[in-house]
Amino acid sequence: MKERAAVSKSAVLAILLVGIVLTAGAGFTMKATDQAEFCGSCHVMYEAVRTHQQSVHAKLDCNDCHTPDPFIPKMTFKTYAGMKDMYKNTLGQVYDVIHASEKTKEVVNDNCTRCHAMTTLNVETVKPFCTDCHRQVPHMNKLPIAQRRVADE
Amino acid sequence: MNNKVLPLVMMLFIFGLATGCTEIPEPKTPSYETTLDATEDRNSAFEEFFPIHYQTYLQNNDDSQMTEYGGSVPHEKHLCGDLPQAYKYCQPYLKNLWTGYPFSFEYNRARGHTYAVHDLLDIDRLNRYSEQAGLPSTCWNCKSNKVPGYVQEYGDDFWAMEFHQFREEHDLEDHTIGCNVCHDPETMDLRITSVPLREAFEKIGIDLENATRNEMRSYVCAQCHVEYYFQDPKFGAPAKPIFPWTLGLNPEEQYEYYKGFGSTTREGFEGWFIDWTHPVSDTPMIKIQHPEFEMWHDGVHGAAGVSCADCHMPYVRLDGKKKISSHRWTSPLKHIEQSCLQCHSDKQPDYLKERVIYSQERTWEQLLVAQEISVKAHEAVRLASEYQGSRHADFNQLMIQARERIRKGQMFWDWVSAENSAGFHNPAKALEILAKSQQYSQQAVNYAMQATNYAIAPDLEGDIYEIVPPIKEHSRKLQMSQEHLDSHTWLQYLPKFEEADLIWDLNQRVR
Repeated sequence: MKERAAVSKSAVLAILLVGIVLTAGAGFTMKATDQAEFCGSCHVMYEAVRTHQQSVHAKLDCNDCHTPDPFIPKMTFKTYAGMKDMYKNTLGQVYDVIHASEKTKEVVNDNCTRCHAMTTLNVETVKPFCTDCHRQVPHMNKLPIAQRRVADE
Repeated sequence: MNNKVLPLVMMLFIFGLATGCTEIPEPKTPSYETTLDATEDRNSAFEEFFPIHYQTYLQNNDDSQMTEYGGSVPHEKHLCGDLPQAYKYCQPYLKNLWTGYPFSFEYNRARGHTYAVHDLLDIDRLNRYSEQAGLPSTCWNCKSNKVPGYVQEYGDDFWAMEFHQFREEHDLEDHTIGCNVCHDPETMDLRITSVPLREAFEKIGIDLENATRNEMRSYVCAQCHVEYYFQDPKFGAPAKPIFPWTLGLNPEEQYEYYKGFGSTTREGFEGWFIDWTHPVSDTPMIKIQHPEFEMWHDGVHGAAGVSCADCHMPYVRLDGKKKISSHRWTSPLKHIEQSCLQCHSDKQPDYLKERVIYSQERTWEQLLVAQEISVKAHEAVRLASEYQGSRHADFNQLMIQARERIRKGQMFWDWVSAENSAGFHNPAKALEILAKSQQYSQQAVNYAMQATNYAIAPDLEGDIYEIVPPIKEHSRKLQMSQEHLDSHTWLQYLPKFEEADLIWDLNQRVR
C-alpha cells in the first residue's frame, strides 16, 4: 500500500513536471515562431522581413499581423500555414511573385482593426481593406525593386 | 508517450534556435568569380557559368508574339495589314517623311537582342550593293559585343572606319548584344561599356563610379536605348556617337542642342546639325532614334525610381526556388504577373493591361495626326518653293521659317514614334510632344501659304491621303528603277541609283 502510494505520487509529480516543461516549451515555441527572426530563416521570406524591419511595425512580430489573435484559431491557422509553407519550400514550387492569400488578407485586416480600433472609432471605413489606403504597409511594395530584392533568395 | 513527444519538442526547439536566429541581410547582390578573360566577348562562353540566366537570354529568340501596340514580330512599320510583314497599327507615311534618308529603305519593329547582329546585317539602310556601306562603323556600336574590343584596338579611329570590313568577323549569335555589354566577365558586376554614355554622363555631371544599384539597373539600358547622333568632323573624331544631352533630356532641349554641332552654311541654319536634307521640301532634318531613357526618366515610373530592369527583367524562379533576373527583354505585357504585380499586387493583370492600352491608344491616334500634318507641311513647302506667281515680299524669310517649323514638327513626332512604348513610359509627355508637333507643322503650312499669298491653299484642301499618297514600297533596289521613281510625285525628287547586285548576304560576301 505504502509503496503504491509513493509510486503514484512520484508519477503524478513526473507528469506534472513534464506538463510544465511541455507547456513552457510550447509557449516559447509559439512565441519564437511568431517572430521575424524565425520567418526570415527561409530565403524566400528575406524581402518580407527586410521591409518589415524598415517599417514602423518593425518591433511587432510577423504573426501580430499574419495569424488570428485568439488562441484556438491561431493554433490551427499557424499549423496549416506552416505546413503549407514547408511543403512549398521543399517539395513544391515557389511562385515568381509571392502574394497573400484571401484568407491571409482577412486575417491581417482583422489585426489592423484589433490594434487601431480607437483611431477609426468615429469614422466609417468604406474600402474593403485598410491597406487599400495605407498602401506602404504591405511590405512597401511600391518601392523600386532594388531596394527590396536581390537574386538568389 | 512522453518518450516520443519530448524529443520532438526538443528537436523543434533546437531547429528554432539553429535556423530561426539568422540576421536578414541588406539587399546585397551575390558576388561571382568566373574564370573568364576580362575581354571575353563570346556569348556562349558565359553559358556554362550561368546556364539558367542563359536560358532566359535565349528566350529572346521568340519573335512570334505581339501585344496590342508592341511585341516582337519584326514587321515593316509603315505597312498596314496582316502580320508578319505588316500590322494593324502602322504609320503609313514613314517612307514619305524619311524620303532621301536610309530609313525610307527599311525600318522594322525591333525584336530580341539575340537578333541584333542578324538584323543589322540584313537591313537595307546599310548599302549592301556597294563596297562602301554609306554609313560608318558607329552603326556597330549598339549591336555588337565586339565594340568594346574595337574601341580598345582602334580608339576614336574606329567610328569612321568602313562598316563592311567588320561583317565577316561577326558570328550572328555569339557576337550579338550579350553578357559582356552589361557585365564585367570576371565578376559579373554591372558595368557600362558604352563610350557615348560614359562621355554624356561626364558632361552632365552623373558620376558612374558612385551610381547606385537601382540607377545601374537603368543605365545599362541607357547605353543604347537613347537618341544619338554622329559627330561632325568639325567638332572632333568623325562619326563618333554622341548623346545630345547637355541642355537636357527632353525634345525642346534637344532641339536647341541641334542648333549647333553642325557645319552647314545654309542661310537660316548656319552651324545647325543636319541628319539629312528632305529632298521634297528641301528641309534640313533631324532624325530621332529610340529615346526610351529620355522618355522614361521623368515619367511616372522613372521619376519614382522604378528602373528599366524592374519591369523588363523581373525576378523569376526557374528552378522553383531561387530568384534570378529574367534576361528576356521584351514587352512586359507578356508577363504582367512577374513584372507589374510585384508592385501592383492589388490589381488584376487585365486591369493593368487596359491601363497601358488607355495611354497607348490615345498616343497612337495623335501620332498619326501629327504625321499627317507633317506630310502636309512638306507638301506645302514643296508647292511654295515651285510657285511661279506673285510671291510675298518676305518670301525667302517665310520659307526659312516654314522649313524650320517642318524640322521641329517632324523631330517632335519622331521622338514619340521612335520611342518603343507607344506613350506608356511617359503618357503626359508623349501627348504634349505630339500636340506641339502638330502645332509646329501647322505653322509650317501657314508660313508656306503666306509666302505665296495663299495661292497654294487650294492645293492643300481635302484629304491628305489623296493629295500625297503614302509610299508603300521603297528600297535601294527600287531606287535603281526609273519606273519606280516615276510612280510617286515625291519619289521624283530622288536621284536614280546605278544598277548593282548584292555584295553582302549577312556576314558573308556573295560577290
